[in-house]
Amino acid sequence: MRKLLLILPLLIASPGWAAESWGLPGEEAASFDGKVVDVQCVLTKDCPKDCGAGRRQLGLLKKDGALILAMKNADPFAGATRDLLPFCGKSITVDGLFTSNEGVRAFALQRVKPPGGEWIAANGFVRDWAKAHKLKPDSPQAEEWFRHDQTVAGRIKAEGKLGLGPGQ
Amino acid sequence: MSAISSKRWMVVLAGLALAVVAIPPSRGAGHRVKLTGEVIDSWCQTTGIMVALGTAHHQCAIWCAVGGIPVGLRTSDGTLYTILRVDKDKANVANPRLLRLQTHEVSVEGDLIERDGLRYLLIDQVMDDHGIINQTHADSGIQPFGE
Repeated sequence: MRKLLLILPLLIASPGWAAESWGLPGEEAASFDGKVVDVQCVLTKDCPKDCGAGRRQLGLLKKDGALILAMKNADPFAGATRDLLPFCGKSITVDGLFTSNEGVRAFALQRVKPPGGEWIAANGFVRDWAKAHKLKPDSPQAEEWFRHDQTVAGRIKAEGKLGLGPGQ
Repeated sequence: MSAISSKRWMVVLAGLALAVVAIPPSRGAGHRVKLTGEVIDSWCQTTGIMVALGTAHHQCAIWCAVGGIPVGLRTSDGTLYTILRVDKDKANVANPRLLRLQTHEVSVEGDLIERDGLRYLLIDQVMDDHGIINQTHADSGIQPFGE
């Protein structure tokens, strides 16, 4: 049961669960406004077009100057870049969770809402992965994308599940 | 004080004032670091779930890195750094170089930028790659599903 509770945050993908508890350490539900930014751009002034076109970690720059890295989205084992990229440079409202552990505070994105728009569940990774593989997002393969992804399969074939060599 | 020396002082003071204005705020400025630690998945490490270290978590760390979760570096004192760049590649979502380094113990050199509670690392050189040395699977199996 404890293990199930621990992995639940990575498995939940339902929009209905947005801004609700994942049972994380130091968890804190949060809703705030911010401008979608390329984190590396903000920190180093190296700013490619379109916030890096999906190849850069994205975050939210609040009006008070606080930079929030969006570390996770609502898909299993996936980040939030695809959820934020359509709003690069624009101000949006987000729902999610902060979690604190060992002195580090991280943000998991659950929903985004553009000005005047509707809430959108932060399931962009699986949505795009399914589309690229001509599948429905709720298909069994897409829901367990990590077991069917070619890049993952290539790494695991080369170095094994433990990383100690093929077959190990 | 003569009129000429007064003018000189005014010029000097004006120059100093301009210099103060021209210095950018220190917020976000980085400094050089050399660090040794394990390449890890930032989310699992931050939340403290699924062991999040070593061989037991290697497959999960690959899943998360391919899924676009930031890859990090954890030093032996438990400090977590979020990697934004490695070598000359400024991409940091599913970066192939970071995928190959996942779970390895590495020594790196680069710039550290601290901002709003997170430590961001821009690696410009991986000086040593010791491979995977943290064998956690004997105690923890394969996380999170045991297979």
